[in-house]
Amino acid sequence: MRVLEPWVADPLAELLRESAARLALVMTASGQVIAQHGFARSLDVMAAAALGAGILASTRELARLTGAGDDFGAVVHQGGERGIWLAGFDTPRGRWVGLVVFGAESSVGLVRLFFEQFAERVAAATPPPRAGREVLAAGFERELDDSLRSLFGSGA
Amino acid sequence: MTDASPPHVAPSQGPVFLDLGERLRLRGQLEAAESVARAGLAHFPALTEAHDLLARILADAGREVEAEAAWTSALGCTPGHVGALKGLAYLAFRRHDLEAAQDRLEAAAAALPHDTAILAALDRVRALRPEASLGTHATFGSPAAGMLLFDAAGLRVAGHADEAGSNAMADAAAAEAAGVTMEAARTARILGLGPWREVIVEGETARLIVVPLDDANGLLVRRPPTTPAGRLRTLAARGLAGARAWLAGDGA
Amino acid sequence: MAGRGRGMSAVAWAALLDEVTAIPGVRAAVVVAADDGLVIHEAAMGDLDSADVAALAAALVRRGARLLGTLGGGRPQVLQLGGAGGTIVAAAGPDPLWLIAVAAPEAELGRLRLLLGDRAGVMR
Repeated sequence: MRVLEPWVADPLAELLRESAARLALVMTASGQVIAQHGFARSLDVMAAAALGAGILASTRELARLTGAGDDFGAVVHQGGERGIWLAGFDTPRGRWVGLVVFGAESSVGLVRLFFEQFAERVAAATPPPRAGREVLAAGFERELDDSLRSLFGSGA
Repeated sequence: MTDASPPHVAPSQGPVFLDLGERLRLRGQLEAAESVARAGLAHFPALTEAHDLLARILADAGREVEAEAAWTSALGCTPGHVGALKGLAYLAFRRHDLEAAQDRLEAAAAALPHDTAILAALDRVRALRPEASLGTHATFGSPAAGMLLFDAAGLRVAGHADEAGSNAMADAAAAEAAGVTMEAARTARILGLGPWREVIVEGETARLIVVPLDDANGLLVRRPPTTPAGRLRTLAARGLAGARAWLAGDGA
Repeated sequence: MAGRGRGMSAVAWAALLDEVTAIPGVRAAVVVAADDGLVIHEAAMGDLDSADVAALAAALVRRGARLLGTLGGGRPQVLQLGGAGGTIVAAAGPDPLWLIAVAAPEAELGRLRLLLGDRAGVMR
């Protein structure tokens, strides 16, 4: 497990332990990675973060358009051997997204239960945003590189 | 020279000595019945029914030790043979070993769950066993007891979960039982059920109870599907007492 | 599994679960799918979260089934978790449905077990 924000570490470790998740990714709504577990390559993390944030954003928009509201909870994909849980949650630093990949040893129900606990703990532990810390488009690539270096070490 | 057609056995009709021996037994001609049974056994030493017949004859003759040996041989030929289990239960009952009688009858009932004679006998034996006496027998550690002690890591500490005493099955059961204890503790904690005390699992052909011994160990008890849930609890309580004694060095 | 729990009307489900919660000491009743731990139907959950009960009970059922399978015990029919502050009783219906009740310590467990075993069989 690698984390950029230290207060995410304990809640994420508990989520992984309790839900028996195989992969996990925490990111901002724009796809900036906060923490990851189980991914071996930085490219996979980048792709998963971008896709996850995109899916959640488009699903949210779809829900809004169809009158389902914007509080649609989670997006779940149940495959034959693995399932994917994708859900957003609010923190003092804006909306974050969690992506959890789980196997037959877990279940949608368990992941939902412990993801909710994870989201509550992270929201409670997250300090308010620091002034001037907004990620600007010009600095995004550098921020992303820094993030990936932190998540995978200097070789990323 | 080998006699291809032994007395009382017609090859085309199967071992007819069984029928003859049983008829003699029922007439009370026990000596003749025994000689027929033994002659048949000499030719068919692996024939379960022959051992069963001999055991019944010996039991009628009051030679209970020999009868027990014969029924044990029958079980050796066919594990779970209902006639042998009933016979051994009968012998146990005669010597007032109600626990053993109950164990045998429960095994027989597992094989024939709708046999009213077995169930009636089981009820009778259960009714004769005062609950207070259940804690006095330390059966932990005997494969027949179906009790398995395991640690939190899922490793087998002692005991077995089947009558055959299979180590492979016990190891696998220990691993799975530890998973059950973790799940039980978590469920009880999150749903506010307090410290968990037991998990009972009732299947088509077996009933299980898993109980915590302490922070590091748990106990699994496996019984036939006819075992009442309340008795499972009693067995588990007795098993815990035995396990504590074993861990303290009494049974090591 | 498509269609699970859809063989009964909402009224029939409500009647079944009401029968369970009518037993003194029963705090909640829920029908769950053991494979994904999700709620199919629920009744009288009180302070309990039905989704939590479903997820945790289903996980325990799966664990119990694996243990039973290891020992050649066949398909699980009833599972019971007893704690100092209450009991969960689960009875198997048609796969993957389970009828679950959460009971207080003073509940009549024998009666609850009988009812769950009986009613779980009619779920579809």
